[in-house]
Amino acid sequence: MAKAYNSYVKRDTFKENISPNVKIWPIFSYGLSAIIFPNIYLGLGLIVFLFILAFFSKLFKGFTKIMLGFGIPITLMLIFIHGFYGSKNETILYDFGPVQLGLEGVLHALKIVSSLLVFLGTFYIMNHTTYTGKLVASLTASGVNPKVGYLVLASLNVVPQMQRKLSVIQEAQTARGVETKGSLWHRFKVFVPLLGPVVLSSLTDAQERGMTLETRGFGIKNVKQTHYVEVFYTKTDKIIKYMLIGFFIVTLIITILMRLSVI
Amino acid sequence: MREVVVKVEDLKFRYREGKKRALDGVSFEVFKGEFFCIIGANGSGKSTLCNALVGLVPYYFTGNKKGSVVIDGVDTDNSSIAELSQKIGLVFQNPFNQLSYTASNVAEELAYGLGNHGVPRDEMIKRVEYVAKLMRIDHILHKNPLELSGGQVQRVAFGSTFILEPNILVLDECTTQLDPLGSEEIFDIVKELNKTGITVIMVDHDMERVARCADRIMVLDKGKTVCIDTPDAIFSNPDIVNYNIEAPDYVSICKALKERGYYSGDYKITEEPTVEVVKEALVK
Ligand SMILES: Nc1ncnc2c1ncn2[C@@H]1O[C@H](COP(=O)(O)OP(=O)(O)OP(=O)(O)O)[C@@H](O)[C@H]1O
Ligand SMILES: [Mg+2]
Repeated sequence: MAKAYNSYVKRDTFKENISPNVKIWPIFSYGLSAIIFPNIYLGLGLIVFLFILAFFSKLFKGFTKIMLGFGIPITLMLIFIHGFYGSKNETILYDFGPVQLGLEGVLHALKIVSSLLVFLGTFYIMNHTTYTGKLVASLTASGVNPKVGYLVLASLNVVPQMQRKLSVIQEAQTARGVETKGSLWHRFKVFVPLLGPVVLSSLTDAQERGMTLETRGFGIKNVKQTHYVEVFYTKTDKIIKYMLIGFFIVTLIITILMRLSVI
Repeated sequence: MREVVVKVEDLKFRYREGKKRALDGVSFEVFKGEFFCIIGANGSGKSTLCNALVGLVPYYFTGNKKGSVVIDGVDTDNSSIAELSQKIGLVFQNPFNQLSYTASNVAEELAYGLGNHGVPRDEMIKRVEYVAKLMRIDHILHKNPLELSGGQVQRVAFGSTFILEPNILVLDECTTQLDPLGSEEIFDIVKELNKTGITVIMVDHDMERVARCADRIMVLDKGKTVCIDTPDAIFSNPDIVNYNIEAPDYVSICKALKERGYYSGDYKITEEPTVEVVKEALVK
């Protein structure tokens, strides 16, 4: 059946008490820092830090699963591409005969993977400790266009809506004697013809939805939207935000100095 | 002179995909505080008219519109749908159309319009609580609106419009998914709201209910205004069958008694007066 539209479950950890508005900053601060930094150590360090953060946010299991599930195959794939065929390969790590594994390529691959994992990890933690309604409320309260906020929320809701439609149709089919249970193959055969209409009607629904929103005052001029969910922005939030920005700036400066071979 | 809050003049509208006009010359006025009902067969244009009252026609449903709709002194042509929502609220025929699909629970759904109108949060919480109690949905406030039964959604839909406290409430068959008891409950609320001065414009297929509630009734046929009159006048008019409208059974009871010479007065349209008539006839 239809599920709540994000992965937030209340866990009462410190992370939840940070304003959602601030929680999107690490994605950029950590992610971009990992990308610009000349070597992979910052990225690796951040990943270790994220694991610790996940542990204290009571998300360790799921976090590990997603990081490994995504990290291992992508690492292998990138090492294969860049390690064997990277154009910058000079130092040969191992000679396989027809192909050689190059050090530069491997490092390049690890760099990409670590940056990706930093993005993925921060996003995962943000998503699991933030309730989307709150995030959007706090974004619009801080000046983001309500239309953008609507887009975010509505797209997150498309899936549960389709699930709802599917289950309604399946019920109707069962009532008319179509067997919707049974072997996987059988269920597949019953399910596939439904997909088209469900997706289509969800799209036309999106159109009808726009009209409701306006009859309920959406897009009214010269009124500042308010929110039922609590929007807060404390001093701690402010400090955290400046620390995150500071982190990125420091990384940037160190990067420039390293590139200029000053340090 | 009573204050006119809705004035529709020679309104014609053809949907862009439509061959015939859905509205083809509709004119009427609604007074402040009035309970105004609109009846007519399926496809006679009732929903289209409701959409025109809140500005969805022609902004949302595009097509060819002629004539004018004036709500509380403002021509819908000169106002946005969102601005109109401060004066007039519509409860849709299909309650699922009413949902914002951005709320993850019923409380947020109810509050959605308030947020757009910039109502402060403390006030919002109070109003949500009040409306939830009134609509008897306070036990499902935490539920996802997509996980409700049809009747529950209809209550949420009604509540989410009514919570905005519009002076004019348009109800397009807003109890189709409710059980008889549930729909009576909603109508009692509507009647209460009407007593406090809110103008109600209601589309409904239940003629007995219309006869009971309405101050005046407009009959719509193939997009045209056929007549506007009091319930007594409308339902005792034998011509209404031509428009696929069936008067409440009470009218046929009175008619039958009259034909047999047991009764000589006006046709009655509601239960109690009819009971009196029948009693009188029994004595004879
Ligand atoms: N979106 C649309 N596009 C094209 N034609 C439409 C649209 N909606 C309604 N119509 C047509 O306009 C006419 C009036 O429809 P409307 O829905 O207003 O009738 P109604 O009186 O509300 O009927 P019901 O009692 O079934 O609710 C119908 O002929 C219908 O086919
Ligand atoms: Mg209709």
